Amino acid sequence: MSVELWVAIIAGALALAAPLVLAGIGEGFVERAGRINLGIEGMMIMGALTGVWAGSLAGPLAGLVAGLLVGLVLAVVMNLLVYRLHANEIVIGLGITMLGLGLSTYLYQLWVPSGQTNVAVATVPRVDLGPLSELPVVGPILFGQSPLVYLAVVLLVVAWAVMRFTRFGLAVRAVGTDPASAALRGVRVERTGASALLIGGALAGLGGAVITVGTIGSFTPDITAGRGYIVLAVVIMGRSRPIGIALGALLFAFLQSFALLSQSTSLQLPSELYQSLPYLVTLVVLVITSRSQMRRLFKTVRPA
Amino acid sequence: MRLVRALDRRRWVLTGAVVVSIILIAGALIVFAGADPLLGLQGLVDGVSSSPYRIGEVLVGAVPIGIVALTLIPALRAGVFSVGAEGQIVVGAIFATAAVFAVNRMLDGGAPALLLWVAGFVAGAVGGGLMALLPAFLTVRWRVNEILSTLLLNYLAAGFLGWTLRTWLATDAETATPQSDELPDAASLPSLIPGTRAHWGVLLVVVLAVVFLVWQRSAASTRLSVFASRPKLALRLGATRSRTVYSTMLVSGLGAGVVGWIQVAGVNDRLLSSVSGGVGFSGIAVALLGALAPIGIVAAALFFSALSAGAVGMQSATGTVPSSIAEVIKGVLLMGVACIAAYQRQPAAVVAPAEPVVADAPDGPDAPGPIATAEAEEARA
Repeated sequence: MSVELWVAIIAGALALAAPLVLAGIGEGFVERAGRINLGIEGMMIMGALTGVWAGSLAGPLAGLVAGLLVGLVLAVVMNLLVYRLHANEIVIGLGITMLGLGLSTYLYQLWVPSGQTNVAVATVPRVDLGPLSELPVVGPILFGQSPLVYLAVVLLVVAWAVMRFTRFGLAVRAVGTDPASAALRGVRVERTGASALLIGGALAGLGGAVITVGTIGSFTPDITAGRGYIVLAVVIMGRSRPIGIALGALLFAFLQSFALLSQSTSLQLPSELYQSLPYLVTLVVLVITSRSQMRRLFKTVRPA
Repeated sequence: MRLVRALDRRRWVLTGAVVVSIILIAGALIVFAGADPLLGLQGLVDGVSSSPYRIGEVLVGAVPIGIVALTLIPALRAGVFSVGAEGQIVVGAIFATAAVFAVNRMLDGGAPALLLWVAGFVAGAVGGGLMALLPAFLTVRWRVNEILSTLLLNYLAAGFLGWTLRTWLATDAETATPQSDELPDAASLPSLIPGTRAHWGVLLVVVLAVVFLVWQRSAASTRLSVFASRPKLALRLGATRSRTVYSTMLVSGLGAGVVGWIQVAGVNDRLLSSVSGGVGFSGIAVALLGALAPIGIVAAALFFSALSAGAVGMQSATGTVPSSIAEVIKGVLLMGVACIAAYQRQPAAVVAPAEPVVADAPDGPDAPGPIATAEAEEARA
């Protein structure tokens, strides 16, 4: 395989990783607070649809904001049901996902009845980095990306700093580790968990909008294709740490990009294998990280 | 006593609120589509009940969902959240199709119906079972989160199905969608009600419901409930973690695998890429909707299937309302039932607070994992 192909694969991987990283940062907060959001898939796809809709009315930036807001609204609903009414968060999460997948299909079919051509919107414009993007190899990979990729990187650093240096980050970690002690020390357990969930929902909605408004420019039902679940796997693999999340997302996105671009080359393997590879490797890495986490846990439990 | 009664009243209020909000949401969605809600309702009812054939279709749709949901009872009761039914159906269907063709070829196309049914049933169960044992092993051995492993395996199963339908089980005939050859006539499940597609799989649902009704009262069932909330106590009752996870996930895998065979032999007469078609996820929702009780699950499966069939009727009656409205209602319903169930659980939490009481202490099976409890005890010692 030629150098150009590898450059295209890696550049494509960064673009594919951006939505996973964004949603993953949010889910990182949720899981550090000791919760899990199984509604990410539903939040992402609703963000993807509203992103295109608002994008067609007022441009890509409005699309991104609308996606973020829809994710936020769904997270508010989830928070209400799980924290106030004490419903099981796994069931509510699955319910949000069912609702999101169904509602996005329903609204899309009303918006674009079958037989009509799909609505396409302008994607977020690329910033011109001049000579930097003309550098060989590094240029297209690092400097030819959509601004949303850079946004994901910036948010990654912000999330790391918030978690590490702020009062809120400390509260999230305390609540996730030991809610009873945190409450005794004056941390508002419920409010901290709710804030984490709202951040998670907003970033999941934004991640969904990034898929459509960022790269593709249009919506089709089930466009997220399980990315919400991949985000959950990536966050667990990365132990909710920003760096871990970024690496996990990059691994999945790299294999996906590889599957998309290398089918034409002469490796003589069935295309289904390429398409399954990201899921297979994610599963393998999940097993490896679970294994090492288990060992570490047992070491701390039995200090003999 | 007064507290219990007050909670009961709130539960009724909540149930009413859920029903009203579902009706309002459905009505709003229909109006938003520019249709008359009453006409939509008419179409919904017609779509379900206007002819024996349509009633049969509701039964046909309820069978796979019902079987998946019923066989998920033990796993969900034990707090093992397997969402792999989708992939287990797929692998069960592939195994069943391959077995039917193999047996038929061995006997030069003259295999008796009973033999082909047994072959399909067993092969389907084996396929689904194997597909369930893998995540069970990963959970027991390395504590891999079973929700994620089963979700990822669903995608691998879909890839395997796509490859299967392109290569070793693909039909030679020119077809619009990838599919296998048609099964031999003898392999199809006969129809139970003449003039409809309702097949003998309906009886399997009834049998399973009875089996689980009896099982529900057994010690094994209680042990699983104990395992979900107090794993250490369950250990003393003989329910180890590995035994519980393996057995409950195997039961759900066997059920889903048999569903794979039923969809091939009873409905489509061939292996299609849409064989699982969201049945696995509906099955989980139905199991939760039926509160893990067999009768409730059968009713919920019929309701889910009727909702899908009715939504198609609504689409053709109004001309504008997409049938995906059924999925929206299912999601809202699932969330509503989870809220009602939360009120059911609360009296127990009020009577016996097991963990140190925090303002919003999580209750139920999702709270302390076995490791967390062990760690806490270590710290106390």
